[in-house]
Amino acid sequence: MSAPSEGGSGTGPRPPRPPRPEREPRSAGLQAERTLLAWQRTVIVVIVVAMLYLRDPLEPGGAQHGGDPLYRLFPVLGVLAALGVLIVHLRRRWRATEHGLHDDRTGRPPAPVARPWALVLVSASSCLLAIAVAVGGLVA
Amino acid sequence: MAAGRDPSGEGKAGSSGGRSGGSRGAEPDYRFTLANERTFLAWIRTALALIAGAVAVLHLVPLDWHSGVKLAVGFALTGLAVVITVYAPLRWLHVQKAMRRDQPLPMSALPVLTAVGVALVCAVVLFGNYWS
Repeated sequence: MSAPSEGGSGTGPRPPRPPRPEREPRSAGLQAERTLLAWQRTVIVVIVVAMLYLRDPLEPGGAQHGGDPLYRLFPVLGVLAALGVLIVHLRRRWRATEHGLHDDRTGRPPAPVARPWALVLVSASSCLLAIAVAVGGLVA
Repeated sequence: MAAGRDPSGEGKAGSSGGRSGGSRGAEPDYRFTLANERTFLAWIRTALALIAGAVAVLHLVPLDWHSGVKLAVGFALTGLAVVITVYAPLRWLHVQKAMRRDQPLPMSALPVLTAVGVALVCAVVLFGNYWS
């Protein structure tokens, strides 16, 4: 009447998992979750700013831009590609760490929530967006 | 906890590959690392808000300002945003290293710089509204 264990000895109930050392049942203050929410806010703001930049001017007659949006498309696509990588990374890492509770490498909640390259990636894409806006203002 | 160290296994964390930023010293409390990350993200959002203002001035809103005023406001905002986006990861790294070594956190002039820059931009916007 034991559980159908695959490849086990079958005599006793298999120990479910070795208990993790010094693991708190929940991160105190939900720090990792708050950090994930901060990431989500940041990603949303990046998308909003990129969409604003891509949008046509509010009154085409009043602005002096001719309005070919193609040169604006490339930096936005680059930024959105970086964001896609970032979202996938955050999601995979969030799942791999049991929703921010346990990182297998350190045995603690994941800190930082994203790897440092993700921090560099998000700041680089924001920087790219800023430069694109400045150059677009100069060209137009 | 009072010393800011991770209560669980600090030597173990030091030898594994999960380190981020710097190589010496003991791993700080994960909560401090996460707070540092959130501060970084708040700086990035600040920069993005400045970029949104620059998009509005340079591109989106049809303003009948003097074009020099318009460019000055837009470039000031984007320049400030570039400075912040370059500074934010460096600041994250410096704070992480300082926490690792149990040193006092480094001061920086960027909050003052941002405040002064935004105040100047506000003044120029007022100026641009009344002198066209």
